[in-house]
Amino acid sequence: MASIARQNPLLRQSCLSAFRAPWATKNVAQAVAFHASAKKQILPPLPQSIQGTMNDPAPIPESHPTEGSYHWTFERLVSASLVPLCIAPFAAGSMSPVMDAVICSAIVVHSHIGFHASITDYFPTRRVPKTHTFMNWLLRAFTLGTAVGLYEFETNDVGVTEALRRVWKA
Amino acid sequence: MAALRTTSRLFASSKPLFRPAVFARSYATVDAVSQEPNPSETPKIKTFQVYRWNPDQPTEKPKMQSYTLDLNKTGPMMLDALIRIKNEMDPTLTFRRSCREGICGSCAMNIDGVNTLACLCRIPTDTAKESRIYPLPHTYVVKDLVPDLTYFYKQYKSIKPYLQRETKTEDGLEYRQSPEERKKLDGLYECILCACCSTSCPSYWWNSEEYLGPAILLQSYRWLADSRDEKTAERKAALDNSMSVYRCHTILNCSRTCPKGLNPARAIAEIKKMMASH
Amino acid sequence: MARLSGLQREVLSLYRKCLRETRKKPLETRNNFIAYTRAEFRKYATVSKKDFNAIEYLLRKGQRQFEIYSSPGIRNIR
Repeated sequence: MASIARQNPLLRQSCLSAFRAPWATKNVAQAVAFHASAKKQILPPLPQSIQGTMNDPAPIPESHPTEGSYHWTFERLVSASLVPLCIAPFAAGSMSPVMDAVICSAIVVHSHIGFHASITDYFPTRRVPKTHTFMNWLLRAFTLGTAVGLYEFETNDVGVTEALRRVWKA
Repeated sequence: MAALRTTSRLFASSKPLFRPAVFARSYATVDAVSQEPNPSETPKIKTFQVYRWNPDQPTEKPKMQSYTLDLNKTGPMMLDALIRIKNEMDPTLTFRRSCREGICGSCAMNIDGVNTLACLCRIPTDTAKESRIYPLPHTYVVKDLVPDLTYFYKQYKSIKPYLQRETKTEDGLEYRQSPEERKKLDGLYECILCACCSTSCPSYWWNSEEYLGPAILLQSYRWLADSRDEKTAERKAALDNSMSVYRCHTILNCSRTCPKGLNPARAIAEIKKMMASH
Repeated sequence: MARLSGLQREVLSLYRKCLRETRKKPLETRNNFIAYTRAEFRKYATVSKKDFNAIEYLLRKGQRQFEIYSSPGIRNIR
């Protein structure tokens, strides 16, 4: 039934690649593999849950001031600003600590947003609420750790751009 | 919009060879003359592997059933092959079909790994390879090739797909648009809601209950872009959350798979732009 | 009684929901609805409790049937 189809990553997610397995030539072998591979599922699909009757519209997710369009605009700005920020210190050759601080914070924010998006995608609250919360806190811890580490590196060591330059030259 | 259509043609050209080009399609019906077996032609026997699952025996596992057809006696499209299988070989085979010319969107299915409409998909002439036909991926199956699109339609309903307008025109006649305003709807109004794009989208596979999916977002943009609609702000507010639109990560499977050659990814990008500027 | 799995509880809640809905039907035909509900659930009582796919499908089907038959226009069932 449906769930089998949904659970079989090899067979069903072949939208683009037109995946052909070698065993596809033999019908029997194929049927066996078709059933057996259902066990490899990572996140099995949940039973269909339909809120309200057939004719009600699907509920609209709640909006949050830090999510949605502002979040997206901010994310795009950070991503776009990273390109010149990464080139600038090497092109200009200046080793200003302010520049370093800006690059580091941009990278930290950018990666935090990126990982947060992955968590929202792959650990949906509906399916794994506890894992979702746990992963979010783990991410926050990691982001904080990275930020502190980079701060230490900047203040007590040579700083990111200088370190990169030395590695490059070495 | 014109630009939207040009890009979708670009996408179409990058599609694999066995995908049908929409503009090159012919009628799927075969006239009586061509159905006569031509003795000079050698039979072109092709195998079709079709996903089967019968809801009357829910404890049985789904399986692939193979059918062999002579392509010389079959029409050119996948739907012809399916109809022929149903008529002549196995009347229990179940699939949706209606218009057989790509305007109803009923016969959307996964053919050789690509979501498309069976009526617009030519049968690959390579008889050495077998064709594999599945229902739309990541849908609950009702029977054989029939997917359960209840939630898809519920989501469509949630975006209020109709003209919302309070004020009347001065002369009390119809709401007029300039040709430029009308042009914005080109590439949007053609969508037939076949669900090919939504079910090819990995984001929609993971979060189909909150993320609206490319098809619904394209429709949503169709109403956002409509100059006659007055509830644009409300429509935007309804989309302004982390799930409805922003689960789109521009994977572009939607534009690649669309059997009508539309570009849902472009429409979603336009929504994001509209949302960012409000 | 052993602790029930999530799926088992879902089945039971659907069964209860169906029986509750029969109270909204006219008195003279109510027994028909109850008998029908029982027969529908009995029909698949042999499905293995580990056959999740089958049970999930039957739940979906049951939910749909429930929605159809709970319409006030339907007054009798055979």
